[in-house]
Amino acid sequence: MCDIIWCKKDVEGKPCDTVNYLDPYCFWNWKGTINCANCGTVYAIHMIQGHMYKGPDEQPAGTKPDTSPLYADKPLEGYINFPSGMEGRTRPFQCLPRHIYLGVPDMVKFSIRGRPLRGWRPQPKSAGIAGQFPFNWEMKKLSPEVWAEYQEKIAKGEVKDW
Amino acid sequence: MIEAKGLTPRQFLDKVLEPEKESDHICWQCEFLKPVIKGSSFPPADIIGWCMKIHWPYYWCVADFNVVKKCYVFKQKG
Amino acid sequence: MTKDLRECRIEDLPGPKSKQELDEMKMPYEEYCKAAFAPGHEMGKPESLKGIRWMSTTMYIFTPHSVANLAELGAEVIKVEMPRMGDPMKHTSPFNEAYLYPLHDTRPVTGTGYGFMNANPNEYYISMDYHLPEMKEAFYRLVKMSDGLTECYRPGTFDRWKQSYRYVQELNPRFIYVWGGGFGYGPKCFGGSYDILGQAHAGLASVTGMHESMGGHCTKHSNWCIDWYSGTQITFGILAAMHWRAKTGLGTMIEFSQVQAATRCLGHTVPMYGRFGIVRQRWGNWDTQLCVHGIILCGKSDFPDSINPQDKFDARYAMVSAFQDADFKALCGIIKKPDLYSSYKKHKERVGAEAQVDIYAQLEDWAKDKSRSEVVRILQNEGLLCEPVMNDREVYENEHYRQRGTVRWMEDPLFGDVLVQGTYSAGMLSKTPRRLYWIWRPVGADNVKIYHEMLGYPISKVQEWYDKAWI
Repeated sequence: MCDIIWCKKDVEGKPCDTVNYLDPYCFWNWKGTINCANCGTVYAIHMIQGHMYKGPDEQPAGTKPDTSPLYADKPLEGYINFPSGMEGRTRPFQCLPRHIYLGVPDMVKFSIRGRPLRGWRPQPKSAGIAGQFPFNWEMKKLSPEVWAEYQEKIAKGEVKDW
Repeated sequence: MIEAKGLTPRQFLDKVLEPEKESDHICWQCEFLKPVIKGSSFPPADIIGWCMKIHWPYYWCVADFNVVKKCYVFKQKG
Repeated sequence: MTKDLRECRIEDLPGPKSKQELDEMKMPYEEYCKAAFAPGHEMGKPESLKGIRWMSTTMYIFTPHSVANLAELGAEVIKVEMPRMGDPMKHTSPFNEAYLYPLHDTRPVTGTGYGFMNANPNEYYISMDYHLPEMKEAFYRLVKMSDGLTECYRPGTFDRWKQSYRYVQELNPRFIYVWGGGFGYGPKCFGGSYDILGQAHAGLASVTGMHESMGGHCTKHSNWCIDWYSGTQITFGILAAMHWRAKTGLGTMIEFSQVQAATRCLGHTVPMYGRFGIVRQRWGNWDTQLCVHGIILCGKSDFPDSINPQDKFDARYAMVSAFQDADFKALCGIIKKPDLYSSYKKHKERVGAEAQVDIYAQLEDWAKDKSRSEVVRILQNEGLLCEPVMNDREVYENEHYRQRGTVRWMEDPLFGDVLVQGTYSAGMLSKTPRRLYWIWRPVGADNVKIYHEMLGYPISKVQEWYDKAWI
């Protein structure tokens, strides 16, 4: 169950038409003010057991919102959306993903202590029978460029124990 | 959509939690009853709801057949 | 010396001459433990389960982990995977980020994700489409040469494929067969299971998290703890079955339902309901039986300038324990609230729910201008039990874990440098410790070893099966 605030406030002559989603985890039993992710209009709501008891009532401009919606979008305009964590629009959450969490495998050749790790592709084929793999990664033979880089790291003292 | 006009928060909550059963328990007038709501296929036990107070923070199953007539934690709901 | 050389006097023997001397010569217990367990020197010791061969036709974490325990203790495990695809768990990684390559010759851009970690170490990886009639012979020959099998399919699947316990016990009466089903047999036998389903269905998620009155909702544990937990319980079943077999010579079938396994760790929940009709509720980071015994929020982070949000915002929690009367008195003295002690002098008074709400609120009020490490230091200096709530970076840097080898670096023979924790956090055995040889291997990496070298199929046959994608 999830209620919404469909903001109809006039912004520069046309309605804002933004759907602000009130996620049940936060708003199940909740009373306070919340901003529209697009135009910033502040609404007061009171929800009881997942149902809207009072509101949304528009607040005078300048009211400070208690919180922001988790997510918002504009369904009439090809679903322009405001994903969570947009400052001043949607609710920030503390554990923002690191910039590398993009859903794309991060190609690494070395672990954080500087030793080689087979974290990149493509790798050379197994060269065995029926997909058989040997028990050791002969790095020097299979990935000579990583081996060379590793030797440089050792020389520079970048390879650590911990 | 439940019409909230003219209802206190408690009355509104009672509309949201429309109970499955009717009985002579005084619990129906009590602040601390959390009723089994209408249309629940669960729980299967023969209860009208849970008392949130007697064993707080645990909930106590209020049986359908043991009709509670008086109770030391009873509080009229507002 | 005595006249009669057959007589042996303690004075003539080398070593301590009296009980006192013996005690003096004993090394300190700490040193004894260091020498007995010797983290980092596991490989020189024998393996308790050496000689056991186990088949693992498993997927994800729950059933694989039951076999992983055996493999870490020295059993020879043959993991049978889908040809060219492997265990579906190989294709999961947190936020699709961390993979190790390669996976299979036919899939050069696909890797194995870290989601697979710890569930299948030290195993031999073969691939086999065992539901094909053509592969039945190879499967049955493996059964004849193995001590047992763990499978995770839906009810009756292996029976339909003629490889359930009813069939394999005719081939090998000593065979121990584990069916790790989701729901097991019964009215709800229809489906499989996941960890989150197990936590939800077993009643565990409903008692995890903050209380409803504090705005909480039922919560699942972030990690798949019920997968790991129920897998370990299967391992106990296997070890008991092996002991039984040593006595009787007969195998066993073990049926294990994940959605009921978590019910075991519900503690007082079920008997409480049975006695009074009380439904247990969540109680957040506090304890229902002890007070003070919970996690409190401190006002300041230990790492306010860190870019890591786990450090910057969450390095604020500390676990505090002072449930004995004397400890609680000391705690109230430290936080300068003697009234608190006089209101709740006895544990019986403290442990009540209303009292806990009051006590923890006052504790957090005291901690609101202090950082986590200040709180820990103040309480520890007064001899109270208090520890910070650590994140994984802090666990990695913790000297205690490093010395015990709990978290350690390992150069995997195929995949290189990996930080590992699973094997070495599962208890230490002085004579036959767990060990980690390799974290996993690519799909079908040991096809030749098992089909050709162990079962004796000619290489041409193995190659033919491979080309047909039967293996």
